[in-house]
Amino acid sequence: MPGDHRRIRGPEESQPPQRYAAGEGEAPVPRDPARLRPVYARAGLLSQAKGSAYLEAGGPKPGRGGLRGRLLCDFRRAPFSGRGRDAPPGGFEECELARALQESLEPAVRLGRYPRAQLEVSALLLGDGGLALAAPLALADTGVETYDLVLGCSLSRAPAPAPAWLLDPTLLEEERAAAGLTVALMPVLKQVAGLLGSGEGGPTESWAEAMRLGFEGCQRLYPVLQQCSVRAAHRRGASAPL
Amino acid sequence: EDLRVDGRGCEDYRCVEVETDVVSNTSGSARVKLGHTDILVGVKAEMGTPKLEKPNEGYLEFFVDCSASATPEFEGRGGDDLGTEIANTLYRIFNKSSVDLESLCISPREHCWALYVDVLLLECGGNLFDAISIAVKAALFNTRIPRVRVLEDEEGSKDIELSDDPYDCIQLSVENVPCIVTLCKIGYRHVVDATLQEEACSLASLLVSVTSKGVVTCMRKVGKGSLDPESIFEMLETGKRVGKVLHASLQSILHKEESLGPKRQKVGFLG
Repeated sequence: MPGDHRRIRGPEESQPPQRYAAGEGEAPVPRDPARLRPVYARAGLLSQAKGSAYLEAGGPKPGRGGLRGRLLCDFRRAPFSGRGRDAPPGGFEECELARALQESLEPAVRLGRYPRAQLEVSALLLGDGGLALAAPLALADTGVETYDLVLGCSLSRAPAPAPAWLLDPTLLEEERAAAGLTVALMPVLKQVAGLLGSGEGGPTESWAEAMRLGFEGCQRLYPVLQQCSVRAAHRRGASAPL
Repeated sequence: EDLRVDGRGCEDYRCVEVETDVVSNTSGSARVKLGHTDILVGVKAEMGTPKLEKPNEGYLEFFVDCSASATPEFEGRGGDDLGTEIANTLYRIFNKSSVDLESLCISPREHCWALYVDVLLLECGGNLFDAISIAVKAALFNTRIPRVRVLEDEEGSKDIELSDDPYDCIQLSVENVPCIVTLCKIGYRHVVDATLQEEACSLASLLVSVTSKGVVTCMRKVGKGSLDPESIFEMLETGKRVGKVLHASLQSILHKEESLGPKRQKVGFLG
């Protein structure tokens, strides 16, 4: 929807001032390539949704998901989530990410158990910086039967002269990356539910190494989300009428 | 046993027919028939303004139209989702080194060439992504961009002059343009170039985009099912191997067609 003039009073096209800035800006800090930022997750927040989850990873970049009883995924970014003010929703990146989310969740959900139901998952990205793991947690929160939790991890490859794959990249590392990869794993079943990668990733061995690093990252995140799910179940159990 | 219903091996493609320069109003065009899948790509070069963050480069824009004649599911707006998905994939597989975007710049920050690549799905017979990527590469190979000069007079105002000779054109180098190889997982094996029936049996596929040198520019899992990590590594290697062979055959067909020159007999749409 280009330039909705009733809501947005301003020029048709605007650019963030950073684009005009000369010079390189900040450089990413060197760090351990396999470090994962601390994750805070909580399920059962929205009263109007059957299930919901909120996820924050290493700084203010939360994501939120809601579930209402076919698996349809919708992904949106809040306009203030990125560096510049993004265009109104419906951009091609959002469609692509919604599709990636759907393809990653489908293998986990036992859709066969709900023959006439339509499951709608909507994800809202409040701040940019990486992960989008809240959705499977929201699914688990509803009590929809799944084979396993789906965990996602992203990686980015720094450009030459030191092309190394970095797990859980920060926004700065992602912007400067020569290639990026996102993997979604079902840790207990050890099955890959989703995979999306592009860029100058080097030879196939390099992509394979990146995938292994990603799978390992997912395995490390699993206990956190598992605990969060259990805690939410306890909370629901405690507040249920007797 | 490496034997499929139609007699092919797991890594064999169906017979591919490629023809370029099929549409006269475009800067470049190509038609690809892969079994029952029929794709038409037209490239139009138009002058535009370079993007703010890339002032010295031109750009490519992809549009995919799934026509209702391809399959009844595309009636009305049914084909829009698939069209967007294919367009998004094309944006992803093309990276900085695929096409020399700096050669498309006319004058930095002011004028550049924008290549609008329009893909039309005429018939859907399985393995759409591979056929589309082959057609896009062939159309870009066929694209001829007119040579322009920027003239600056004493007052500083610029004027763009188009060359008088209609054959004075720039040709793009498509050496690094990738092609997609879709590997469908069926049971414990994976197959290349699946027909519609084979796609129906497959729960998950891996889409790998490979250049002629064997560099992977994109990979994506498609489908409702999940994949084993070990299968993914195997499929990646197969994709790279098959991709290199595909590029080699495509290059030889395109060069052979070009060498026949303007006198070659065009088959067109009724052949």
